[in-house]
Amino acid sequence: MTTLTQRFPLSDAVSVGDLVDELRAAPPGGRLRVGDPRIVEFVTKFARKLLAPATARRFPELASLGFFLRKGEIAKALSTLDTSGSALRFPRGLVFHVPPANVDTIFVYSWALSALAGNHNVVRVSSRSAGAAEAVLEALNAALSEVDASVAEAVTATQRMVTYDRSDEVSGALSLAADLRVIWGGDGSVAALRKYPLAPHARDLTFPDRSSFAVASVAGWQRASAEERRAAAEGFYNDSYWFDQAACSSPRAVFWVGDEPGAAAAGSEFRTLLASVLAAKQHVTEPAMAVQKRVSAYGAAVDGLVKEIAFDGNGLATLELTDPAILPREWLGAGTFANARVSSLSDLVPIVLRKDQTVSQFGFTAEELTAFAHELAGRGVDRIVPFGSALTFSAVWDGYDLLHEFSRLVTVQA
Amino acid sequence: MSVFTRSQADREALLLPELASLTAHHRANSEGYERILASLGIAPDADFATIADLPWLPVRMFKTHDLKSVPDSEVFKTLTSSGTTGAGASRIYLDKEAAGAQTKQLGATLQEVLGGERLPMLMVDTIGIIKNRRSFSARGAGVLGMANFGRKHTYVLDENDQPDVEAVKKFLAEYGDKPFLIFGFTFMVWQFLYEVARDHGLDLSNGILIHSGGWKKLIDRAVDNSEFRRRFKEDTGLTRIHNYYGMIEQIGTVFLEGPSGNSLYCPDFADVVIRNPETWEEQPVGEPGVIEVVSTLPRSYPGHVLLTEDLGVCNGIDDGDWPGKHFSVLGRLPKAEARGCSDTFSGAAA
Repeated sequence: MTTLTQRFPLSDAVSVGDLVDELRAAPPGGRLRVGDPRIVEFVTKFARKLLAPATARRFPELASLGFFLRKGEIAKALSTLDTSGSALRFPRGLVFHVPPANVDTIFVYSWALSALAGNHNVVRVSSRSAGAAEAVLEALNAALSEVDASVAEAVTATQRMVTYDRSDEVSGALSLAADLRVIWGGDGSVAALRKYPLAPHARDLTFPDRSSFAVASVAGWQRASAEERRAAAEGFYNDSYWFDQAACSSPRAVFWVGDEPGAAAAGSEFRTLLASVLAAKQHVTEPAMAVQKRVSAYGAAVDGLVKEIAFDGNGLATLELTDPAILPREWLGAGTFANARVSSLSDLVPIVLRKDQTVSQFGFTAEELTAFAHELAGRGVDRIVPFGSALTFSAVWDGYDLLHEFSRLVTVQA
Repeated sequence: MSVFTRSQADREALLLPELASLTAHHRANSEGYERILASLGIAPDADFATIADLPWLPVRMFKTHDLKSVPDSEVFKTLTSSGTTGAGASRIYLDKEAAGAQTKQLGATLQEVLGGERLPMLMVDTIGIIKNRRSFSARGAGVLGMANFGRKHTYVLDENDQPDVEAVKKFLAEYGDKPFLIFGFTFMVWQFLYEVARDHGLDLSNGILIHSGGWKKLIDRAVDNSEFRRRFKEDTGLTRIHNYYGMIEQIGTVFLEGPSGNSLYCPDFADVVIRNPETWEEQPVGEPGVIEVVSTLPRSYPGHVLLTEDLGVCNGIDDGDWPGKHFSVLGRLPKAEARGCSDTFSGAAA
């Protein structure tokens, strides 16, 4: 029989049957409520550990996570759950989370929001997790020993992070026990997990493969000061290079929106600025990644997608598209950007697919962006954010209001 | 006639125009290749001052794209290799002429150490490797290709992949007093021939060993090229050992180790460029970099200038056993991997 290694709370290996039984029981101190103060206390303590200078320095992404989970932020997020009238909000029950193996921290966002909604959670942490994920587990276990015994008991009874080898038995049992299954990690992961049936009332919340692009207004660029342009390049650098451009929300293409000579001038200045940001940050491209980028860029040329390839060192490759409509959406290597010009945001509307997630923007007004969103009419694009915010996680993700997804309503009429 | 004769200056002078015209030939006949060069801004009439100036393709392009410079109707043979990266198979298209040239030049290269005669041959592999033609591995292709250069083939491993000591003893009793050829992949030669010969006191002193495949699997045993040669010499009497470096994407072109060992040499129709992985400029002698292999043989596909995924170092120019550049292979480039929320790792779940 396969056993699961319990990473948080640290404990002996457990069989899936026992784990499910334990997680189904009511915790000491009573069932969790939405925004349960015990969970809030624990999560806040955990956030403080992530924000500790030593941790934040080693893993800047954990500082972002800690920031997201501060007491004030949690209160703000929970306040969106206030219900009016006769509807009462309750946790969904048992939530089974399957995060991606290769993003170290996304499982924490998903787990924390679900726990704050009062759910019992079991999170499958990849056996390949390393670095930041290990630091997260350490911080969670440390926080547990520093909260009141009653809080620790409730957390221990309801929240588990486990690791297990590929196993039909375990994945099947956890899926069947879950009221909600949360699958991150792309199309392949979603398809693989969907093999395991859910209980009839249960549902999936899936985060399949997504791709993202950037838009920059030529007029906005021309209006911007030198400092703003420089800041745009820095923001774009953070959006793109933090996860080697492989995060779903990292831009893979850049569209310059405006007239042709303006777009050419702005695009070339932006490229120069971005190259200088890379130099200033002492960005290092591994040789294998540099070769990968050549393979991708040359391949796009063979496929007829690209009419011009420019390399600024190994860190930055710009592929001038033959036609904006054929932007490559797959990952091409860290720092490889398709580039094209369109006359207006409206020109992008027919190009957008459901798969498109984040539009990073520079130089547009709120009115222009809202009009663009209305034109898209929900067919694609879940979020439009300024350069520099592409990777900032939010409680609304991929079009889902996560706290709402993690809870359910009961109506009462006398 | 030897194919290890050209000094570096002669090589530049003779190969450069041939390679430049090959570049033009591939541009004219491979739309994909033309698109790559055009998008890099390389003019159709571009002048190349040195071999190192020629545009190169990453060898992995042959895994991701079909690149050929002959019409489909003239494709005589398609070579495929899965390689070690698991990123799909390379597909190399040969027409009749190219296929002939590959075999001929491979033969000419090996003649340097084998002489003109087909020698009795000890294959350090199992006959099974070439029996299943349908799932033809790169190893199988290597064994089959090399088998042409010998006769009276004896396989060192039996059908169950166990060393067949009796078969080896019988081969040596019959042919061991005159030159004979030994071929195999480096780690197999070590594991199955060296260890067996040592343990049974076999005399391999008339053997000529040709081996390839890299040292990765031998690192655990602390065996590098020098140790390999030393131990073979001391324990079996085998001294004529030639490692070679080559790849299916440039089949027919092998870079052969000279008699004194530890350096690989370019046949007259080939060259290497060691490139700095930051600037992609050619590295000076002694500075490691990424190996680019250059050969005039690939005419049916644009594989005449290929950037490999191996690291190497040029040990010298015109100062070794044979003329031209000589180099060593230092290992593979580590694989590029990205973090991200997509299925960059396949099968991450379940």
